[in-house]
Amino acid sequence: MIRRLPQLFWLTVVWVLLWGTLTPATIVGGVIVALLVTWLFPLPPMRDPIPLRPLRIAALAGFLAVDLLRSAGDIAWETMRYGSRARAGIVAVPLLAGSAHAVALLAGSVALTPGSYVLQIDRGRGTFWVYTLGIRGEDDVERVRRAMLVMQRKVIAAVGTAGELADCDRGLAAGTEKTP
Amino acid sequence: MTVTDVVTAVLLLGGALSCLLGALGLVRFPDVPARLQAATKPQTLGLLLILVGTAIRLEFESAATLLLVVAFQIITAPVISQIVGRSAYRAGTMRRDDLVVDELADPMARSDLPGPARDDPSS
Repeated sequence: MIRRLPQLFWLTVVWVLLWGTLTPATIVGGVIVALLVTWLFPLPPMRDPIPLRPLRIAALAGFLAVDLLRSAGDIAWETMRYGSRARAGIVAVPLLAGSAHAVALLAGSVALTPGSYVLQIDRGRGTFWVYTLGIRGEDDVERVRRAMLVMQRKVIAAVGTAGELADCDRGLAAGTEKTP
Repeated sequence: MTVTDVVTAVLLLGGALSCLLGALGLVRFPDVPARLQAATKPQTLGLLLILVGTAIRLEFESAATLLLVVAFQIITAPVISQIVGRSAYRAGTMRRDDLVVDELADPMARSDLPGPARDDPSS
């Protein structure tokens, strides 16, 4: 029950926002709906706690917003300039995040960036593959690998553990070394 | 004309432009994954800009609902594009000659990972 409290809180907040008015009726209604939802669709319990760093999460959100605008421009250019002659590539990137929620947030962040999404994640081999639009040569491949590592660093800084962060820094220092 | 008007106009027009470019990409790009990019990402950005532009002009109660729409769009859109994109790769609808580099083909071919249909010798 205690574990469900944050979930209940957020579902109630969403309900109140949907109604747009903060009255006792909407709050009580929200709590009832939240109880119903968590009872009908229980989430599996989290084994390890997620370290949440509000400042880092805000930094990640800002980074993603800028990235969204910049890549939207890139894709617009690719559309207008090349169109049907657009080229793409699939790039292997070392996966430095270990925990499930960090990997999920990373995949979501990549998918939010126009022009790229995660095709495959292999946690055993520590590699994920990113499809990116607008790749033309070996330089672009290295640029994408580098950009993905930087994004990964920001995601791990936001929700990863200290150990993951150290691993990530080591990976960044190793540079854009190709994965096997 | 106030500052709010200008900001709203810029956001609405920017959002509309983004959606238009997405539609153009949908028509012009060669294969499923590329079109998927055009269909999902500029749409998300466009909707985001238009809703923020609208929210500026509204009183808080209505604006909060619009922000909720933005949040759900950002949460759900990547999931869809990801699932369809993966299916496209595995079903072999990706135009391989258009790929400059495919670092996934090798690991797929020599491992337990389910490979793309076209590269599967048994099919």
